[in-house]
Amino acid sequence: MSQPHHTDPLLRNSRREAIIIGLTWLAATTYCCAYSYFFGYIREGQQLTKADLNMIFGVPSWVVWGYLVPWVVCAVFTFWFAGWYVVDDDLGYDHTAELESDIREGGVGG
Amino acid sequence: MDNNNAIPTHPATLAALAIFTAVSLGLGVVANLVSSKKAGFLQKYFLGNRSLGAFAVALTAAVMSGGTFLGFPSFVYQYGWVVGLWIASYMVAPLTVLGVLGKRIGHLSRRTGAITLPDLFRERFGSPLLGLLTSLFIIFFLSCFLVAQFKAGGVLMKIVLPSSTYDWANVENFAVTLDKGYVIGLLIFTTTVVAYTAYGGFLAAIWTDVFQSIIMAIGVLIMLPLAISKAGGLEMATLKGMEIAGDGFGFGPGAGRAFHPLTMSISFFVMWAISGMGQPSTMVRLMAFRDTRTLRYSMLYLTVYNMLVYIPLILIFVCSRSIMPGLTNSDEVMPRMVVTLANPYLAGLILAAPYGAVLSTVSGFLLIISSGLVRDVYQRFIRPAATEREIARASYAATVVVGLVVGIFALKPPDFLQLIVVFASGGMASVFLMPALLGAFWRRANAQGALAAMLTGAAVTMALYVYGSILGHQEVDQMIGAKPSSNGFGAYYLLGFEPVIWGLLSSFIAGVIGSLVTPPPDPARVSLLFDAQPPSAPAPATLDLHPELESDIA
Repeated sequence: MSQPHHTDPLLRNSRREAIIIGLTWLAATTYCCAYSYFFGYIREGQQLTKADLNMIFGVPSWVVWGYLVPWVVCAVFTFWFAGWYVVDDDLGYDHTAELESDIREGGVGG
Repeated sequence: MDNNNAIPTHPATLAALAIFTAVSLGLGVVANLVSSKKAGFLQKYFLGNRSLGAFAVALTAAVMSGGTFLGFPSFVYQYGWVVGLWIASYMVAPLTVLGVLGKRIGHLSRRTGAITLPDLFRERFGSPLLGLLTSLFIIFFLSCFLVAQFKAGGVLMKIVLPSSTYDWANVENFAVTLDKGYVIGLLIFTTTVVAYTAYGGFLAAIWTDVFQSIIMAIGVLIMLPLAISKAGGLEMATLKGMEIAGDGFGFGPGAGRAFHPLTMSISFFVMWAISGMGQPSTMVRLMAFRDTRTLRYSMLYLTVYNMLVYIPLILIFVCSRSIMPGLTNSDEVMPRMVVTLANPYLAGLILAAPYGAVLSTVSGFLLIISSGLVRDVYQRFIRPAATEREIARASYAATVVVGLVVGIFALKPPDFLQLIVVFASGGMASVFLMPALLGAFWRRANAQGALAAMLTGAAVTMALYVYGSILGHQEVDQMIGAKPSSNGFGAYYLLGFEPVIWGLLSSFIAGVIGSLVTPPPDPARVSLLFDAQPPSAPAPATLDLHPELESDIA
């Protein structure tokens, strides 16, 4: 259309929120996989045995720092994000009945 | 199942399962009675009148199925702490699964009047072909998934049934050799799930899901201190596990095995958190929540729920290796731990939860398939003028027939179910996620682009499985903990990544290129779905029938 768009505010908000969520996922994936690989994975040049286990409350330290603490951090972030950041938008009028009557009116394949 | 060392059960266990089944059937009846009579039958039966509250959305999005309580504990038992990393993307799953597409799917489904995923794609892109193709892909992939869930239901029922309840049965006359206990278990499971789903529809599926989720959380939290105490503490459990299974029990990848190398860690952060967004079952829930406040609260509830269930599950089943070191069939670790740790009444309650998880997964999927058949095939292509009564009958019949057909296939299920579940989940994400994302956020996305995304995602995923099966790379399936299949079915892990990575990537590229090299979508339709509109603006389908209404669009 040639006229300027009056983008629906719900779309603007949800696009911004989706980008933040995507970045959060990327950060969590990068950190957890990298930390666990470097500190908790047996690999060439890093033969880990029982002697290398550092325990924190009975849990291997690479587990605590690799995914348990990030899990808690993500939970705190989700509380802030969903509790305060995400905007309450109007989902708009429900056209279900209208589509139903369009299907009847349009006939087969309509 | 190892019959020489059967799981000891108690009448109380059976009683708990019977109560659970009765409650599920009761929920089906109540759901049918309380559904608003104001809304049309299809919206009521398949979408619960778009009235889901935060608690229901959160707990039904918890992605629990039979695998959560059978396959996952089995992984922890075998491979130790690294399995926590396998599931760790659940830390962001409430955000990704509900937050990325939630508002837009809720908005678009109301704006278009869509009540099924094929409806949504068809109306967003203005393409009947896309709607039909979506239905066919859903039927194909979900049917694969359902056979695995029906088997899990039959096996769980067999575990708690005393042999006296099925010794009388004569199944030797069948053309194939069947396990009596399993057949009777499957029969009870199929009858229950088909009955309450067909009668109660979407609300019955949701309520059962919520019910079993609560029971399971209670069960897990009760088992946690019992397991840690029995193992002599987590440190003792870890060290003993390493003695039994090798150093890999305390580190990654799995104990001297191929399980979960770095490429799979990355793949499974995509598998759960990203491909979870592309599952039809998730998208249907995103069409059904009440308002955006509900969506926000459901993210909070799901975050709490995931922490309360999945982290304790890791701890409990790390302990299980030292409590039951010589288990021959690790798939039985969960019921065995329950029977070992809890008194019979509590054990019955906890054992009922995985059965309920399977029930609720199956009921949700049955409805997605039957809604596709009724709305997107019967109503759209066979009888558009069908009355409410005819549609209601067709819906009940479709749910019953789909359930019975899958039940028959599950009588002799293939032996590589876990691979099939991974294949179906990854396949659905590769097919549906990119059309949904592009359609929700990109004005330029058109029907040709969506078709290209869908077909490319499906083709790449299937090609990797076909190529893997031809090459016979079954040993590589240990990377995802799957047992090698006897007939060579398996995936090819290009550069070590799960096929879903390549499916999603290729689908995205095809969707963008396919849209850009073909004519842009109808500006009036795009404006209806992307711009702020007055209340009088028509639905896209109405605009197709009455182009003169274009003047009502902002």
